[in-house]
Amino acid sequence: MDRSLLIFLAIVVIALVGLLLWFVVNRHKNPIKVDIGGQTPQAKGGEGESTEKGFKRSILGLGIFSGTIFGVLLARLWSMQLVGSEEFVEQAELNRTRAVTSPAPRGRILDRNGVELVGNRPSLALVATPDVVDDEQEMRLLANLLGMPYMAVRRNIQDATEGMQSNRTVAVDVSRTAVAYIEEHPDLFPGITIEERSERSYPHGTLAAHVLGYTGPVTAEQLEADTDDREKINYESGDVVGQAGVEYQYETLLQGIRGERTVYVNAAGEVTGVASEVAPIQGSDVVLTLDAKIQKAAEEGLQHAIQVSNAAASSGVGRGACLVLDATNGEILAMASAPDFEPSVFVGGIATADWEQLNDEKSGYPLLNRCVSGTYPSASTIKPLSAFAAFDSGVSTIQSVYNCPGFWTGFGEASGQYCWNHNGHGAMDMRNGIVYSCDSVFYEIGKAIFYSDTPEALQAKYRQWRLGEKLGVDLPSEEAGRIPDAQWKWDYFTSYTDEDRVWHGGDTTNLVIGQGDLLVTPLQMASVYLAIANDGTMWTPHILKEVQNSNAAGSVLAYEPTSTPIDESKEYLAFARDAMEGVIYEEDAAVASHFANLPVTVAGKTGTAERQGYSQSTGWFIAYAPADDPKYVACAVIEEGGFGSTSAMYAVRDVLGAIYDTPDTSEAVSSVGAR
Amino acid sequence: MATHSKTAPRPHTLGDLARPLDSGASPQGPKTRALARPKIVKELSLPVLIPAVLLVLFGLLVVWSASLSISDASLPRQLVGVALGLAAAVVIWRYDYRDLANFTHALLIADIVLFILPLIPGLGYSAKGMTGWIQIPIIGLRIQPSEIMKLVTIYLMAALGASYNGRIKKFEDYLKLCGMLAIPFVLLVTQDLGSSLIVLVAGAAIIICSGAKAEWVIATIVLVVLVVGVVIFCSVTEGLPNILKDYQVKRLIVFIDPSVDPAGDGYNLQQAKIAVGSGGLFGKGIGNATQAGQGFLPEAHTDFVFALLAEEFGFLGACVLLGLFAWLIFSTIKLAQVVDAPFGKLVLVGVVAMWSFQVLENIGMCLGIMPITGIPLPFISYGASSMVVQLAAVGMVQSVYFHRPKAG
Repeated sequence: MDRSLLIFLAIVVIALVGLLLWFVVNRHKNPIKVDIGGQTPQAKGGEGESTEKGFKRSILGLGIFSGTIFGVLLARLWSMQLVGSEEFVEQAELNRTRAVTSPAPRGRILDRNGVELVGNRPSLALVATPDVVDDEQEMRLLANLLGMPYMAVRRNIQDATEGMQSNRTVAVDVSRTAVAYIEEHPDLFPGITIEERSERSYPHGTLAAHVLGYTGPVTAEQLEADTDDREKINYESGDVVGQAGVEYQYETLLQGIRGERTVYVNAAGEVTGVASEVAPIQGSDVVLTLDAKIQKAAEEGLQHAIQVSNAAASSGVGRGACLVLDATNGEILAMASAPDFEPSVFVGGIATADWEQLNDEKSGYPLLNRCVSGTYPSASTIKPLSAFAAFDSGVSTIQSVYNCPGFWTGFGEASGQYCWNHNGHGAMDMRNGIVYSCDSVFYEIGKAIFYSDTPEALQAKYRQWRLGEKLGVDLPSEEAGRIPDAQWKWDYFTSYTDEDRVWHGGDTTNLVIGQGDLLVTPLQMASVYLAIANDGTMWTPHILKEVQNSNAAGSVLAYEPTSTPIDESKEYLAFARDAMEGVIYEEDAAVASHFANLPVTVAGKTGTAERQGYSQSTGWFIAYAPADDPKYVACAVIEEGGFGSTSAMYAVRDVLGAIYDTPDTSEAVSSVGAR
Repeated sequence: MATHSKTAPRPHTLGDLARPLDSGASPQGPKTRALARPKIVKELSLPVLIPAVLLVLFGLLVVWSASLSISDASLPRQLVGVALGLAAAVVIWRYDYRDLANFTHALLIADIVLFILPLIPGLGYSAKGMTGWIQIPIIGLRIQPSEIMKLVTIYLMAALGASYNGRIKKFEDYLKLCGMLAIPFVLLVTQDLGSSLIVLVAGAAIIICSGAKAEWVIATIVLVVLVVGVVIFCSVTEGLPNILKDYQVKRLIVFIDPSVDPAGDGYNLQQAKIAVGSGGLFGKGIGNATQAGQGFLPEAHTDFVFALLAEEFGFLGACVLLGLFAWLIFSTIKLAQVVDAPFGKLVLVGVVAMWSFQVLENIGMCLGIMPITGIPLPFISYGASSMVVQLAAVGMVQSVYFHRPKAG
């Protein structure tokens, strides 16, 4: 009671007591004045002579008053309990029940033969409520118990990426002894719970890491953007979500359905019982087109090629890509990228230091899948397409013969260009132009096209072969590459003088040998070769083979390969295949020796891309086999690896060796430096 | 109950005037002492007693079911309250209330003393923010004197009103009555808003039934409404004296707009409404109340006991309860109509008004149509004080019946 009230009370009490005293003192002097009523028996106790009329009316009024009360209450009860009851029942249910969900294990990722590439393993995670961060003693105790630095424990508890209110994961894969200690001393660890989780496991380590991708806690954007584009997964804070590779691409298949438990709670939020329970459903298993054996060969071959090229060119960057396609349907049998990374570092949330290292330029961006995201000038691997363009635009025929002087001066002495063979190839027909990768032949073609009615016939031909566009592979982060043309040059080099922005003949002669501003991905070039080998049918490369129910055997959904017909003359295609067979067996004895012991004939093309700003060229090698009935297309790129024949060739050869079980026995090193 | 009851009239100053009539009505009185038992039953108004007994039994059932989940609620303690209440009721029943007509001063002083008791250090007791309780030293019994003030005030106002014999002719007399009612009301307002409102309603009913002219009553009501408006305005305006406490203002308006206090009274009200509404036609059954049983409904055994009852017993149970109250109240009104004694009539009017208003306020609060006040539901709410006083009120009614003029 506040003071003013007390004062008020005191005044009232004093006044009343005074009034009463006054009454008592004066009661005999002046009875009428002191009479508060009742003392003068006007009615003599009331009995016998009351005026009944007045009472009757007023008591009837009282009855109406009471009756009205009952009427009002009854009407209100009727409306609440009978008419509007449902809504209140619903609210009462909402009050007393809570839905608790439990995460579902993700589906596994298998190779085409059922080899488990990504699986699940049970893990004990230690989670803390956010307020544990205020208890330094508890955090120090946890740090000692887990063998973690105190700062790491503190940082993990402060980390609100899974939501401000949600529990914080302090550590995963907590040891049984630590768990036992915590469970025996619950008083020491308020706010700490042990959760049984399912974590991603990688039985083959880094194998196919770029294809598989990795998982991570759902991000704020994914939480908000759910249901919009990615087929109705309603993420909850703390969900593990695919963040790259197949894990990201097929998230909707791999993600399981959370189990839901409806529990009864009391007003304090304590669980008092279970109302209903739906078990979590594991996500579907995804079967990839990858073949673990070929994948392994591709990765090892890539490393082999990098080692060889390092020894030769001493660049030591260790970056490259290698992939294998099934020529008959576009299946990706292997896809390797270097440098690689350990996907298991993402399990349970990646440490900041690890993340920074993975995104550092010095470490070569290991997360980049160079097969789909790496763009390079195609170099000489484009020459078959350039030849097609020449045939199409009528500037040359299969029979055309050109002279290679070594230093080509088709646009005048001042703007002369070297063939890679500075000594000159001499007289070269179109086939030899490809076999020996003679630049002068293609300079001539380029010049002729430049001055023809269709000066952009090259670009049109490349686009026809789907360069410069995304192929639609079922992997994230696919790059489109770039096909430079006059318009692009004018728009791109805005700071240049008008003279420099204009497309020149030199640009065409650069483009015709796959140098300059042209950018393609290894996957695009492999697809081009697939279509050449396949007589014009370009299968869309894909990684998904089928989807399996994780509980029962059998395919739920098989991937339907799609293809794009490339409208190219069969004669030209046959010409190109013939020329590419010559590349392997005729151009250079050293190269030929590597392929000599294979049980099948191989066709292919080398390439050596000159990238501005890099001291060493980037080596290309693309081949398909068997040459007469193409089944496999293998493509490799070694960044700063030097000539294609001394770098990328080894990766392709190792892959074919693994496929046909005939390891490379040749020690010969190409001395010609064929490009 | 009373085994050696003595019905022989005792000499009293005012009562004596009426006594000859009474004696004349039952000349065989002294002879029937051997038949004491049937006579005692005859001196009980069964239409009032039976619904009261049923209400007490219903209340005990509800308290027992509340005690299943609410540790504060205890059936034995409630039974103690019933026992004390029965004892008080018997005493009051046997006591000739007509004596009190001579003791209006004493009744007024009793009111004031009852008000002051909780303010006496060592005697006052406060808990859970409740004031106005006393704890009797040594035996440790806690009672709420303001509950008793209701009954004392009913007697006081009835005694004063009866002297006008059904028609108040002079305006000064009306003012005097209003002034006398204002004393306990103003005192109580500061301590217990709910009880003060009951006193006001019961007193006002007595004054009106005493024969106040309609225009005076209407003028008074208008005046009261204006005063209340000013009080509330002052209380919610900074700088002016806040006569009502913050929580009281909130309670007065929260039923209109629960969002003014979503965590406190607004929450309570919402939970009460959910409890009542989710009860449906048949209710959830004893012990199955999720709202009251799981702690969502606060004060489920005291102020919001009706919500608990409505949740467990549904619309049918609530109708039974309202039916019992209606039976009790209309039986009492009927008695007030037939009993030929203005003082007795007015006592009954006061009791009826008290019950009616408490039922309206308590149940209305649970249904969201009345402001939230701490008024218990008679006979049902957990708490010995309320139970004792309500049973005593039944005793008052029975006393009027017992001491009715028995002129044939």
